[in-house]
Amino acid sequence: MSEIILKGHSVVGGKTEGEALVSPEPICFLGGVNPANGMLTEKGHALEGKFMKDKILVFPTGKGSTGGSYLIYETSSNGVGPRAILNCKAEAVTTIGAIISEIPMVDRLEPDPIKTIKTGDYVIVDADAGTVKVIKRTEKEEKR
Amino acid sequence: MRLNEEQKAMLEGKRGAPKKKAMEILTKLGEIYGAEEMVPVTSVHMPGSSVVVAGHAGTKFVEDMAAQKGKFLPFTTLNTGACDLSDEKNTIGFPEAKVEMQKRLTTAYEKMGGCPLHSCVPYLAGNLPRQGEHVAWGESSAIIFANSVLGAYTNREGGPTALAAALTGCVPAYGLHLKENRRGQVLVNVHVPLDDINEFGTLGYFAGQICEDRIPVFAGIKQAGIDELKMLGAALASSGAVALYHIVGITPEAPTLEAAFNGLRPQTVLEYGKAQRDEAYAKLNRTGEDEIQMVALGCPHASIREIAEIAELLSGRRVKRGIQLWVMTALPIKTMAERMGYVKTIQEAGGRIVCDTCVILGPMKEIMERNGLRSLATNSAKLAHYAPGQWDLKVHYGPVRTCIEAAVNGRWN
Repeated sequence: MSEIILKGHSVVGGKTEGEALVSPEPICFLGGVNPANGMLTEKGHALEGKFMKDKILVFPTGKGSTGGSYLIYETSSNGVGPRAILNCKAEAVTTIGAIISEIPMVDRLEPDPIKTIKTGDYVIVDADAGTVKVIKRTEKEEKR
Repeated sequence: MRLNEEQKAMLEGKRGAPKKKAMEILTKLGEIYGAEEMVPVTSVHMPGSSVVVAGHAGTKFVEDMAAQKGKFLPFTTLNTGACDLSDEKNTIGFPEAKVEMQKRLTTAYEKMGGCPLHSCVPYLAGNLPRQGEHVAWGESSAIIFANSVLGAYTNREGGPTALAAALTGCVPAYGLHLKENRRGQVLVNVHVPLDDINEFGTLGYFAGQICEDRIPVFAGIKQAGIDELKMLGAALASSGAVALYHIVGITPEAPTLEAAFNGLRPQTVLEYGKAQRDEAYAKLNRTGEDEIQMVALGCPHASIREIAEIAELLSGRRVKRGIQLWVMTALPIKTMAERMGYVKTIQEAGGRIVCDTCVILGPMKEIMERNGLRSLATNSAKLAHYAPGQWDLKVHYGPVRTCIEAAVNGRWN
């Protein structure tokens, strides 16, 4: 078991922890996520069919319609949203969604969270300080 | 970002939960776009006022803000909704569940102080900022009108940011709130006469595709009234994401070509002649069949002069049985049209005046299925652009007199 500390910039404050779900590509919440169950639905997306409920959701940035902010709110209100959002660079749609849903969010993390964090790693987020502690899954655990 | 005392109090939660959340949205947005301070806004036009756009999520959020006693500070009008609230018996036939949800959303906005105008032409109904006034508007066709024709300053606001602006009375100062970002970028030389208001839409459709989010400057247009400028902007903001245009000698920030470009050279120069016009026309006419089942006029919502022209064209004539003719407008304009006898003329001919909603922001699917609507005729380049993608409707596009002929004959000629 190894630990890595990432340092970034607080977008929405709060402290939480959980298992990482990592997307190498942007996420669009309007039309890309089912707000009833938190499943990613965009055809051909790297996380298509995966559920974001209670995950630490890691993706480069948001994309698409401003309606996406409201979809984050609905997903979160339904109890199937992520515990925290980690972005390389925050844009307006995701940021506003995280603010109105009170989801802790950190961006501009170093080193690059997409390369450093793998799906299944355990992540401890201190969004007030803008720091993220990653506890890597060992290979043995991975095989289990 | 620098905040004044009142803005700080809002951010710290001293003015209640809705204003705290709103100020958090605006300060983060300001950080993302590099704003240094907030600018006060005197008027808001609220997008996300139709449940077709707001959905369950937006409706719930707006209701939550109202339940927490949120109150709007600037004058705030609501954009077009998803049903005609003046049609109390729902004779149009929108799905009841959508009508009920729309009433919930409208009520929540009203509780906070929103004016339920439910129209995309707030500037024709009392929300009329003057030149240089900072506002926070949504609805692409209204945004571009406010910036270009009125000379007011607004960015393109989405649902949550416009709501935040209404709750706090300010927005971060970036983009089109800064004078240096308002100069022209693309020169469009217009070589053909623009004889009907829809011709301005055709021009806007052509230029919007190429400009994307840049600022066009039109040269060679000799005359343009309110209706023409409304059509031009709506089309520019549909085929492109244009939020501001200038017309040399006509709009307030373009007394001369040099002023429109602030002395700099255009990035791109476009020529608009007969070939470009015909090509745009062909793109907007996306159907091979001549039969139509619906004619929709008033996108953006019709002015009293447009309704007068429609009534005159329909006078003593009869819309063919089975054809839906919708003239879409705002409630105050319908009231005026009633007083002037136009509503009676249009209704006697078999047409319908529709308020508060439209063919894009109303839930049309059920109405289309029930009435067998497959093909639509319109004089709006904006509607012609959106109808195929939004509702899978085939479209004929042309001047209003051709649309009225189509309504009478059931065929496009």
